[in-house]
Amino acid sequence: MKPLPAALPCGALLLLAVTADHPLILAAVALSSLFLLLAAPPPHAPYIWFAVLAGGLVVAINPFVGLQGLTPLWRGPDIPLLDSEVTAEELAFGAAAALRIIGSALAVSAFIRLVDGDMLARDVARVAPRSAMIGSLGARLLPTLERDAAGIVLAARGRGVELRRRRTATELVAPLVSLSLERSLALAEAMEARGYGGGPRTARPARRTDTRERVLLGAGVALAGLVAAVLAGAAPYAYYDLLDDPLSGAGVGLAVAVVALGGLAVGAVRWPR
Amino acid sequence: MAALSFQDVSYSYPGGARAALDRLSLDVEPGELVLLLGESGCGKSTLLRAALGLVPHFHGGRLAGRVIVGGLDTREHRPGELARAAGLVFQDPEAQLVAEGVVSEVAFGLESLATEAGRIEARAEEALMAVGATGLADRSTGSLSGGEQQRVAIASVLAMGQPLLLLDEPTSQLDPVAAEELLALVTRINRDRGVTTVLAEHRTGRLFGEADRVVVMDSGRVSFSGTPPEAARRLARDAPWLLPPVTQAFIASGRQELPLTVREAKRLLGARAEPQAVAGPAGDVAVRLERVWARRGQADALRDVTATLRAGAITAVMGENGAGKTTLALVAAGLLEPRKGRVHTSGRSGYVSQNPAHHLLRETVGEEVAHALELAHIPAAERRRRVSDELERFGLAGVAGRHPHDLSSGERQRLAIASVTVGRPAALLLDEPTRGMDGLRKLALADLLRSLAADGTAVGLVTHDADFAAEACDLVTTIARGRVLADAAPRSVLSEGAFFVSQVGLATGRARTSEAAAWLRATAGERLHA
Repeated sequence: MKPLPAALPCGALLLLAVTADHPLILAAVALSSLFLLLAAPPPHAPYIWFAVLAGGLVVAINPFVGLQGLTPLWRGPDIPLLDSEVTAEELAFGAAAALRIIGSALAVSAFIRLVDGDMLARDVARVAPRSAMIGSLGARLLPTLERDAAGIVLAARGRGVELRRRRTATELVAPLVSLSLERSLALAEAMEARGYGGGPRTARPARRTDTRERVLLGAGVALAGLVAAVLAGAAPYAYYDLLDDPLSGAGVGLAVAVVALGGLAVGAVRWPR
Repeated sequence: MAALSFQDVSYSYPGGARAALDRLSLDVEPGELVLLLGESGCGKSTLLRAALGLVPHFHGGRLAGRVIVGGLDTREHRPGELARAAGLVFQDPEAQLVAEGVVSEVAFGLESLATEAGRIEARAEEALMAVGATGLADRSTGSLSGGEQQRVAIASVLAMGQPLLLLDEPTSQLDPVAAEELLALVTRINRDRGVTTVLAEHRTGRLFGEADRVVVMDSGRVSFSGTPPEAARRLARDAPWLLPPVTQAFIASGRQELPLTVREAKRLLGARAEPQAVAGPAGDVAVRLERVWARRGQADALRDVTATLRAGAITAVMGENGAGKTTLALVAAGLLEPRKGRVHTSGRSGYVSQNPAHHLLRETVGEEVAHALELAHIPAAERRRRVSDELERFGLAGVAGRHPHDLSSGERQRLAIASVTVGRPAALLLDEPTRGMDGLRKLALADLLRSLAADGTAVGLVTHDADFAAEACDLVTTIARGRVLADAAPRSVLSEGAFFVSQVGLATGRARTSEAAAWLRATAGERLHA
């Protein structure tokens, strides 16, 4: 996917996750981002795990650090620095904050999985050629390093050496640095052998934006319109002192619009080329 | 004018004790297909790098003499400029991938040469077509198999349209079928497109007879240059292990004919030997997998597999790339839990990874070998004795104090094996240990494995090198798409199959060179008698 069609809907979902307060809109953003990620090329699991863990952490912590809300649900023993009274408002706020984090993380993940790295690097190269090349190679080196780390642990186990969890990181550093230095030298040599650094470069012309990408651009623009509406105060929501009614007309309407536009974007990604 | 000319060239790497190229002179004529042979470390890779100016511009060091490529002197032009005259495909395809998408990868060189933007896409697609890889155009480079990566690497160089193609052991990572296809492709590019080709390769089976010229290197010098039949006659005397396996079998039999291909050998022989069952050693079962299912990633890599490793025997595990060989080795070594089924073992198993660098954790070779014993709290005196024995056995005693990363690739491989065998495992699993090895090193490895088996170790060898398996192994387990086709069959199957068959087996009906030589002697005797 070209960078702009991938960035526009994902960016709009990210902005909605950051700016909206209404829980239904936040839920709609999280849901749309999740389906957009699932429609993108794999892997998906590590991104989903990260988002859910980060969100879960917020849900678990928020009731014990917040001191607001007028609907107590449970009161525990007094613990210094912690709020031992859990209110319905604190739980709802925590859940909304979790949705905000999950939605943001999944929107960024969807962009990472959707965008064509080479096209992104080429676009960045127009402004900063060397940085684009370094960034592109660095992004490719990370999975290789991950594979090397797994290989080293496996080879160590193969000779009866268990790299203990506590020491694994420190024991892996030296061999990983050696391996990555060897790899980067080999890559630099291969690049020079293919003429890199021999003078000014050209770039193959960007391909034309296809129908799928045009639909994505349209969905992104419409989602950006929803961001503007939220920023203009179209769907306000208060968690404290008492929870507002989540089924207010504007909130439900915007949430449905987010899901519909998200669905359109997912359909565009899934549509065969 | 020669396409490539070395004129009295000497070169030493920075800090190198000896010259990697030593007063070397060589001319390659336009359109020639030159096969470059020699033991590992003889200077083949350095010669190819010097042809593109990577030596000395990229690696540093001292260069004397002149290298002229496409009329350009490499002392006066940097590799970026010389890339217009020659393209180099490296040994490890993964290490040369720059882009995320296949078309972007192929276009990289064209963009570096400032090719007119509107022509880049078409030339990249054309190059992919030339190597039969148009189906890969929409794939990401990270999802390609080793064979596919190597095809894309060749397309990346071909797209640049240089008149000289240099290839440094391009088949070292490939299974027999992928290697055959690749070498056929290189031959076609040379014959049909007239691209001058210089290829360094250990797998000489297919190319030896096809080349216009064979150049043999020794200690940084050209020790011989001539037509394939002339080279065969010379090497039969000096270094038979550099010749195709079928030629080696004829030499070992004492016959005068020197066929360079299976076809020539068959024409000379008229008939193959009758199938002969060679029973493998019947040692105790050291590892037994029973109806094992195992996953790697999302899919089942092993499906209902039953396999055996026997004490005192060397068992080859063979199959194409991605067949599940490594998964089988990991399960047998106890490093991967099966999803279903059982694994019975008579003791601890050791595993040597296909990348020896993954075994290098410590500061010196001696410490590396001692590492497992230290963690097992073996007393110091016993530890010293066992480390010393192992270093001696693997020919590493002289480098015990050196840093493991300073060793040659062959020494690294031996160190990786020594670091595992020092713990005296009941079974030893080795994953593709012959990758990038020359014939002489393979013979030495076969000897080492035989000595381990003689001590009662069950040796399992994951390989797609049918000729090495025939020479080194007693039993063969074949695997395809996660299922075992034959478990612990006698090695004689390597003369009968269609895919898992040694070159000697194809020609003579006997899998191992010594067996083929004996049969050839016998048939020669019969003819004489008749």
